Amino acid sequence: MSDFDAIVVGSGMSGGWVAKELCERGLKTLVLERGPDVDPLTDYSDNLAPWEKSHLDRVRPQEAMAHYTRQKDVYVFYESTKQFWVRDSDHPYSVADGTDYEWYRGHHVGGRSLTWARMSFRFGDLDFNANKEDGIGVDWPIRYADLEPWYDKVEDFVGVSGEVPNLPTLPSGRYLPPFEMSCAEEVLKTSLTDRFDDRTLIVAPVANLKQAQPHHNALGRGDCQVRNLCYRGCSFGAYFSSNSATLPAARQTGNLSLQPDSIVHSLIYDDATQRVSGVRVIDRVTREAKTYTADIVFLNASAIATAQILLNSTSERYPNGLANDSDQVGRNLMDHVAGAQVSARVLGIDDKTVFGRRPAPGYIPRYVNYPNNDQPYKRGFAFQVYSQRGGWTGNRPGVGEALKTANQSPGDWWITLDAYAEVLPDPNNRVTLNSNQTDKWGIPIPHLDCRMGANEEALLQAASDDAFDILSHPSFSNVTRSPVEPTKPGNRIHEMGTARMGRNPTSSVLNAWNQAHTIDNLFITDGACMTSSAIVNPSITYMALSARAANYAADLKQAGALRI
Amino acid sequence: MDEIGLQRRQVFQGLIALSAVGGLAACGGESETVEPRLAQGASTGFFTNSEMALISALAQTLIPQTETAGAGQAGVPETLQLLATDWGDDAYRQYWRAGLAALEPELVSPAGESFLAQSPSVRNQILAAYDASVFEGAVENDFYRDLKNTVVEAYYKSEPGATEELAYEPVPGEWIGCVPLSEFPKTWAT
Repeated sequence: MSDFDAIVVGSGMSGGWVAKELCERGLKTLVLERGPDVDPLTDYSDNLAPWEKSHLDRVRPQEAMAHYTRQKDVYVFYESTKQFWVRDSDHPYSVADGTDYEWYRGHHVGGRSLTWARMSFRFGDLDFNANKEDGIGVDWPIRYADLEPWYDKVEDFVGVSGEVPNLPTLPSGRYLPPFEMSCAEEVLKTSLTDRFDDRTLIVAPVANLKQAQPHHNALGRGDCQVRNLCYRGCSFGAYFSSNSATLPAARQTGNLSLQPDSIVHSLIYDDATQRVSGVRVIDRVTREAKTYTADIVFLNASAIATAQILLNSTSERYPNGLANDSDQVGRNLMDHVAGAQVSARVLGIDDKTVFGRRPAPGYIPRYVNYPNNDQPYKRGFAFQVYSQRGGWTGNRPGVGEALKTANQSPGDWWITLDAYAEVLPDPNNRVTLNSNQTDKWGIPIPHLDCRMGANEEALLQAASDDAFDILSHPSFSNVTRSPVEPTKPGNRIHEMGTARMGRNPTSSVLNAWNQAHTIDNLFITDGACMTSSAIVNPSITYMALSARAANYAADLKQAGALRI
Repeated sequence: MDEIGLQRRQVFQGLIALSAVGGLAACGGESETVEPRLAQGASTGFFTNSEMALISALAQTLIPQTETAGAGQAGVPETLQLLATDWGDDAYRQYWRAGLAALEPELVSPAGESFLAQSPSVRNQILAAYDASVFEGAVENDFYRDLKNTVVEAYYKSEPGATEELAYEPVPGEWIGCVPLSEFPKTWAT
């Protein structure tokens, strides 16, 4: 008899969804979170005025250099938000010579669901077909029709505000009313649609409640207040996080056990049943070792940590890591790539401004390599679009009243196209275990060997050229483009691919249901499962896959197929 | 006389000169306000009294009192003192000390008198000329740019800077993508 019906390793974006679905299906579910619990009263900082934060909210330089060597570069790393980012000094990893990897992460209940950028786009069949068409990587074992009802379900629950015309390169979704465009975006949209049949501008659909529905209110969630402080945690529960939505829903069932400070060392494989029987846990604080058993195990630790756990789970049957007959565990590590920006002044709207701080950028969906693959590079890119009037700054000439006056009036309107491009799966981009170094809990640290390739660079160059062309229009002036410099792997915080889904057990780790090919009761629905990266932000896809796989596992359990 | 005593005397002399010249300048009809923090005695923290006097003078010259608070009233010098005292490391502290020491002689009056010895209007002329030389590229001084950025950030993140000088709306509640500037003519603080 197992301790639990199911164990979910990780409480973030995908783990929260698995927990909710399993609990609602009646399974006694243990969620293990390696970091501490989060208390909105003390850990959220969204209600502090600027003058209530000490030292301009900067993290002390000596502390940042000693303990946050990576995380200090996250764009939302402040003294009052540093609790949402790991102390790198406690969580080291190594990288291969000549490479670097920017691994940004938070260890706490809710994980990066508290700090995500909330843009929610669906993968379409252009994406699910891509590997097969190109012969790169392996074919996805599912298509859009398999995931469509699950996107519907998760978008309803999450609350995504937006409006996407049904584009062949980007499916629409079940959205709450959208946030409207800014005047600068209207200018860009008009100039775009005048000149190009294949391009348009939208406001990115975001997981913020423009108009909360009764089922959102029932969880204590309210309307978005348009403060754009989401990275601080939201006291209104207005954006989706595990903390605001899935974990409260799971808790309401009475079936949830949430255990923070529980670091999963490895999974236990049982030769007799050929299944996973449980997990080995180390208490983060006391370092006490514990074991929990369950009929079903879901890994949702995030792509690199999930690979680390699998590789650290060795047995006679799986000497190279659990579920790793294919040798694909840890391989095909992907992210997205940025590093090409083009900005311009927007003309003709100097007598206009905005009210509020919309928590969503504009977005130009992918249009290249459709309907035919007619470009010298594979796949595509999209643009996130930022527009605003110039604000206060010390980086302008002038002193005294002249400086005050200049800062008191809104400056010129500016718009920036920031390219995001797809990253191809490459088996040489991989996570292994460092055989020489363990962390303070005695677990071998990850060793990362990952590079951006020629296709990523070609995509960015093409994106930069197109953005320059788009803004070279009488509606704009002062067009400036950044040098094309691909971001390092990890920089976009979309790591994925290290235990990919596929059709063939010899070349992939998971089947069409996110179930390990050779271990019936092991499921993986975090970013590790991704077969390709597409170009859209991935979280809502992780959620849809999680909900789908959790219900499949519950079906098997109900049918008696997964009892240990 | 010990070093601090000497610095105090220099500040005191500066105050005398400042009031004298300030009286003359006032005839020109300009609003002249001696920053109140300057005369308030000993500072406690990393920056010495004379350094704080210079910081206060620079901050108040960059952002003077007008119809709204200046940097001094908004507590900007104290924020800079706290950053150096409670926040920064030795490298940060020495960067500021060396930067201030190197900047001060750049800001002497045409007659060779110290920046602190000048009236607010003369300080404004001197700093405006120096600022222009930095932003036009004739003079390279990253410390000055850092100092200006820090003063400006501390000011617009202060309560008077955000709520009186600019428009501060902590909870907008709704988003309007395009409204006439005449309805909200001030820069949003956040």
